[in-house]
Amino acid sequence: MSDSPAAIRVQGLRKLYGSFEAVRGISFEVAPGEIFGLLGPNGAGKTTTVEILEGLRQRSAGEVSVLGFDPEKETGEVKDRIGVALQATNLPEKIKVQEAAELFAAFYTRSVAVDDLLRKLQIWDKRNALYGTLSGGQKQRLALALALINDPELVFLDEPTTGLDPQVRLEIHTLVSRLKEQSRTVLLTTHYIEEAERLCDRVAIIDEGRIAAMGSPRELQERVLGHARVEVSTAQPMPQELPESWQGQVAISMNDGRTRLSASAAKPARVVVELVRWLESAGIEIEDLHIKRPTLEDVFLELTGKSLRE
Amino acid sequence: MRLRAYAAYTAITLKLTLRDRVVLFFNFLMPLLFFVAFGEGMGAKTSPGAMSQVLSLVLMFGVLGTGFFGGGIRATMDREAGILRRFKVAPITPAPLLAASMITGWAVFIPSVALFISLARWRYGWDQPLNLGSLLIVVSIGVLAFRSMGLIIASVANSMQESQIIAQLLYMPMLLLSGAAVPLQILPDWLQKLAQFLPATHLYLGTQGILVRGETAWDNRDSIGAMLLAMAVALWVSIKLFRWEKDEKVKPAAKLWIAGVMVPFLLMGAWQLYDKRNETRIRMLERQSRRSQSWLIRDVRIFTGDGAVIERGGVLIRNSRIEKVYEGATPDPDAVRAEALEAGGRTLLPALIDSGIQLPVGKGNPSGDAVERALAAYVYSGVGGLSVVRDPGGLADAVRARVDSGEWLGPEILPGAAPPPVSLTAAQAAAGDLAVIHDDLAQQFFAGPYLQGLAALRGHHQPFPGALEKAAAALRLLFERGELPPPCSAAAGWLQLHGPGLVHELALWVEAGIPPREALRAATSAAAQRAGAASRLGRVREGLDATLLVVDGNPLEDIRALGRIHSVFVRGERIARGELASKNKKSQK
Repeated sequence: MSDSPAAIRVQGLRKLYGSFEAVRGISFEVAPGEIFGLLGPNGAGKTTTVEILEGLRQRSAGEVSVLGFDPEKETGEVKDRIGVALQATNLPEKIKVQEAAELFAAFYTRSVAVDDLLRKLQIWDKRNALYGTLSGGQKQRLALALALINDPELVFLDEPTTGLDPQVRLEIHTLVSRLKEQSRTVLLTTHYIEEAERLCDRVAIIDEGRIAAMGSPRELQERVLGHARVEVSTAQPMPQELPESWQGQVAISMNDGRTRLSASAAKPARVVVELVRWLESAGIEIEDLHIKRPTLEDVFLELTGKSLRE
Repeated sequence: MRLRAYAAYTAITLKLTLRDRVVLFFNFLMPLLFFVAFGEGMGAKTSPGAMSQVLSLVLMFGVLGTGFFGGGIRATMDREAGILRRFKVAPITPAPLLAASMITGWAVFIPSVALFISLARWRYGWDQPLNLGSLLIVVSIGVLAFRSMGLIIASVANSMQESQIIAQLLYMPMLLLSGAAVPLQILPDWLQKLAQFLPATHLYLGTQGILVRGETAWDNRDSIGAMLLAMAVALWVSIKLFRWEKDEKVKPAAKLWIAGVMVPFLLMGAWQLYDKRNETRIRMLERQSRRSQSWLIRDVRIFTGDGAVIERGGVLIRNSRIEKVYEGATPDPDAVRAEALEAGGRTLLPALIDSGIQLPVGKGNPSGDAVERALAAYVYSGVGGLSVVRDPGGLADAVRARVDSGEWLGPEILPGAAPPPVSLTAAQAAAGDLAVIHDDLAQQFFAGPYLQGLAALRGHHQPFPGALEKAAAALRLLFERGELPPPCSAAAGWLQLHGPGLVHELALWVEAGIPPREALRAATSAAAQRAGAASRLGRVREGLDATLLVVDGNPLEDIRALGRIHSVFVRGERIARGELASKNKKSQK
């Protein structure tokens, strides 16, 4: 984290709906210029957390600061300075793209030039199209445009690519990456692992109202599952004798026919070299060899015992 | 900055509304269809009153529709579609959204008011003096009030279906009971009372009052006040209960807030039931509307009142006055936008003036049925003016005000004067002959048992034989000296019959030797002159009140023709005589 004050600071946040505790003591900080991901299944408490940060909901307990403001008490200040692209929102069918942008521009103290913004988000050509005639991707690009209309330091993106086809998703990812280049802070919620891996500097995995793990995608993978696995399959059974250097360093598992081996190691590249040497000296032909890194999906499964996609 | 948000949101809402064909359909096309259908169907071409009614009806359609459906259901739709959710994260409050809905509703509606008024003027020749400023004020406040009530529907409804149900539940009864769709008088009494509690009734009476009676916005300040109060409550509640997302549900108890909006009208309604002003107003509006019907009486013999006779002519009645008297051919009714009354073989003359009556005192209460019934009997019998010669109860002024305003149907109450020296009818009765109750008019108007009861009471009096002959001689003497008095039925006397006496009196005059033309002149222009009402009554002349009588045959040849009444017009209103008689007979049973 940098030395400048955090864009978002959350300390011991709790939210009760009646007797149901949706958020059970969450703490995290997001540094300026960082893309921070909240990853978790539906109902994990992501949306509640984000809505508290956006000033839409009141918290039950804890401390929250967004750009130095308390979103509950200084809602107007917060709303005026953040950009938000919400999931499951709409605009009137008959509003034109440019009109929508100009309308939202009028809501904020500060706003950027609508023309430039629409050009940057590649919907300038559609500026006179009615909202109802736009494709899913165009709608999402407009949603991003509206989120950026006030030139916000901090942007909340709630499931920005849910329901979009892969091609469009890639386009949106490119646009989000560009936000980072403009050194904006982004808080992204998603239940797409790839999205978090691709875009986020850091990720918090949320489950049942708690943060199960937090860190860069790489850190999380390593912390939770530790090591990458080297997997090899051969035409003939492998020898009984393993290389001596693996003793106590490499965890090995093999199938009954001794034709498939999986090795887990802190330094997988080294294991590969030794493995190839070992098999060649035994005159055994390698059919397939690859290094498998654990994904966030694996991390999530490991941490919560749940699949994200259900 | 705030103002910029209001302006931008209002501008865009207006644009979106104008892009929405459904809105245009409900705001312009549908009312237009109703306008044309009712305009043609209700005879709006010949009756400015009917046109005013159509205008009010169409305006009510528009205001209620704009309010409940345009305001209420629209707002619910925006929430259901997730549109409001998007605005929720922007730094705006519900206020600009609600304000935009109100302003848009108003801005889209007002042109339709202009459209319908222009249509009424040019297509239907509607030429009533129009207090446009007041109309716009009342209609504008109506639109805003109903729009705010629509917003409250959106605030308390949890789904589209719910809001549609609530809107329908409010729309239909308000439209039906406001008096716009169905005249209030034909509704059962309890429904009429219920109507006093509905905001729509106030709006309707306001627009009708302005269109028909030339009222101003100030005259309708109570209704305007109630609507403004309801609007304030509705907006306050709407802001309090405003929901950006469909997932936020409102508790069932919150729906009771609708009742809060109704509070001003509950108070108004209770006050109306207590002081009955609206009931009176409804009757006046109805009367004004009937008085404004245009009539063209064609092919008729005209006794002008001052002695002259037009053997074949016509009379055009418009806005309760005689607009034109034709000699010879009368124009086509369509050319003058009037309802035709073919009167070949009949005679038209000024309605008669009874120059000496006394109002039935009853319990000293001018609203008493007795006075109303007496006035109806006069009108039924072709009497258009009454000189009240003795007024011990001091009723005349109050009765005159009620007749002039249209609250009561009756002849014009003329300033009191000395009673005429002679009444042959009174003399005949004094002689013990109650011939008047056997006249056709009396038989038609009064129930048999009532007349018999009257005769029986009369029978107890000591008769003065020869009274009629003496009075007739006196009358002849006056005639010969050129001092013919105005005729009177002398219904001032005790147990006299109000109404048919004057026609009976004139018949006795002719029997006594007075020429019919002189008798008729005495009962019309001369009587009006004597009462100082010559500028309104007593002659068939352009500019005078259309208070006229059409009889079968020619009373100049046979005075008894006066009893064969075909039509009576009082200030332009053609009297529904059959209705009056059956109502009276019913009440006397």
